[in-house]
Amino acid sequence: MNHDSILRPRLVDSEKSIADVSNDICRPIENKASNLWKIGFTLSVIFLGLLGLTLTYTTLNGIGTWGLNKTVQWGWDITNFVFWVGIGHAGTLISAILLLFRQKWRMSINRSAEAMTIFAVMCAAIFPLFHMGRIWVGAYWVLPLPNAFGSLWVNFNSPLLWDVFAITTYFSVSLLFWYLGLIPDIATIRDRATTKGRKFWYNFFSMGWTGSTRTWNRYEVVSLILAGISTPLVLSVHTIVSMDFATSVVPGWHTTIFPPYFVAGAIFSGFGMVLTLLIIARKVMNYEDYITIGHLEAMSKVIMLTGTLVGLAYITEFFIAAYSGVEYEQYAFINRATGPYWWAYWSMMTCNLIAPQVFWFKWARTTPWFIFMLSIVVNIGMWFERFVIIVTSLHREYLPSGWVMYSPTWVEIGIFLGTFGLFFTFFFLFSKFLPMINMSEVKTILKNRE
Amino acid sequence: MFDKKLSLKNNKNLVFGVFEDADALLETTKKIYDKGIDIIDCYTPYPIHGLEKAMGLKRSRLPIGAFICGMTGFSLALTLQSYIMVFDWPIVIGNKPYAGIPAWIPVLFELSILCTAFGIGILFFARNGMIHGKIPSELVDLKQTDYRMVLALAMDEDGVDKSEVIDMLAKGGAVEIKERMNHEEDSFEENNVSFEKVNVSHSHH
Repeated sequence: MNHDSILRPRLVDSEKSIADVSNDICRPIENKASNLWKIGFTLSVIFLGLLGLTLTYTTLNGIGTWGLNKTVQWGWDITNFVFWVGIGHAGTLISAILLLFRQKWRMSINRSAEAMTIFAVMCAAIFPLFHMGRIWVGAYWVLPLPNAFGSLWVNFNSPLLWDVFAITTYFSVSLLFWYLGLIPDIATIRDRATTKGRKFWYNFFSMGWTGSTRTWNRYEVVSLILAGISTPLVLSVHTIVSMDFATSVVPGWHTTIFPPYFVAGAIFSGFGMVLTLLIIARKVMNYEDYITIGHLEAMSKVIMLTGTLVGLAYITEFFIAAYSGVEYEQYAFINRATGPYWWAYWSMMTCNLIAPQVFWFKWARTTPWFIFMLSIVVNIGMWFERFVIIVTSLHREYLPSGWVMYSPTWVEIGIFLGTFGLFFTFFFLFSKFLPMINMSEVKTILKNRE
Repeated sequence: MFDKKLSLKNNKNLVFGVFEDADALLETTKKIYDKGIDIIDCYTPYPIHGLEKAMGLKRSRLPIGAFICGMTGFSLALTLQSYIMVFDWPIVIGNKPYAGIPAWIPVLFELSILCTAFGIGILFFARNGMIHGKIPSELVDLKQTDYRMVLALAMDEDGVDKSEVIDMLAKGGAVEIKERMNHEEDSFEENNVSFEKVNVSHSHH
């Protein structure tokens, strides 16, 4: 039962007792916010303000404020939508798929990764909703309600509608899964609380949790079921996102490789973002004993694997285009690599396929500052991947009269930067008011308890 | 929906053993269960595997509930899509049949998942009697959600020797033993039992 394995390294460094875990992880919640936190939070709120400003400007003036045109109807908006949805995927992968595989190293990173999922999906949803133009009606147009002009309904043959169902299901199920995992920890904070406000709010959200074994017994069953259904869910979400493109007849989009290729890319970018956040968080919040070099190394390996997978997909696409004998397909790909957007294509290739190969070296996988730099490279690369797929496939139509260039306006740039504000505002609030590490799970892996 | 008989309030005489070591708790629980003493519950800050078996708990039937909820979601999605696409307002889209079942699969799948997840969530809360804002009435020790573990025992049955139980808890490695007498209107009397502590901390290194 209680033993130290000689085969496996410890998941939590140093001799932590159960009480230490609560003390360490509740510290940021129970103490006053640090100056670093205040600065970061203020900056995020400023960018959140930018989001409000640019979205208001878009709403008042229409989509004409964006750089889209009759040929490139999807530009930064859908690029950013896919970018954020993809980032969300690592959270579910870590908490659901790694739970099914009984990978215990997930336990100190799953909470923040799940939070990241929820905030990233919120950012993602902004783009298609506002792209529909009239947000005040767009918000219910996507629902299966009869139209006001007769019994005209939404079209269930359209992947765009599948996306509505996939994203809303993904968001709400992730939120439920995250909240369920938080309840025991919220109860811990409730019972440690010294102030009236904390006692009230943590009591409210702890739902009367006592730590009863009867409840724990059901809790574990529910967690396993939720993990079991979240696993196909997360795969389905990015599959359906990819179908927004793959079911069209646009050369460059119309490929059957899209679902697995998008899922691999989502995991790749999601892990990139998890690393970016956690390398800072473990340092700033003194969680280095919990989020160890071992965690960073494991995630680096995932980055290397999925980066290579997407690289393989890029090359496969090229091969299939050549092999198909369809000149439009062939041109779409030649144009990607050598056309006016060549720089985007080669940025993508460099960041996603070539850069992660450094993780073959142990030094690269175990040096936090280096992993941090590379995680940024991964984020940039994956943003470029979506830009390449969307813009280079669209910007040259079948007729040369439909050949245009696309560049974003300040409004689009503002919305994109603004979503980072939204994301980080929520992330900072999360790190201040909720335990960033799942205490009750980490308590089970002290001393390699099996 | 939750079993009232097992709550701290419905038993008159109670004994609590407070532990700080999971293995000590597990071993003691096994011994006490074998003696046939009523175990109200164990309160622990994290799930201790094997404890539910040691307490003689049955497997949860929540998976059956999850399956029913999933099937409900599936039927809902099938009804919704066929009603809209075939019966209420059929439209020819790309010369495809009205009942284009393959195109319905994503929504069938998503709604099944949605209903399973929220169904099981609601069933879970209902089964435990959990609701937002509920004040936990069953906290024996404020540290039971932090690092301490509480074994709560009922002494109401005839033929239960309280001192023997206390002795078992003491020998098992309890750090604190308390006894509680419940009075009529929602009040109780609690005393600490003095005993000789046994050091059972399983050293592992």
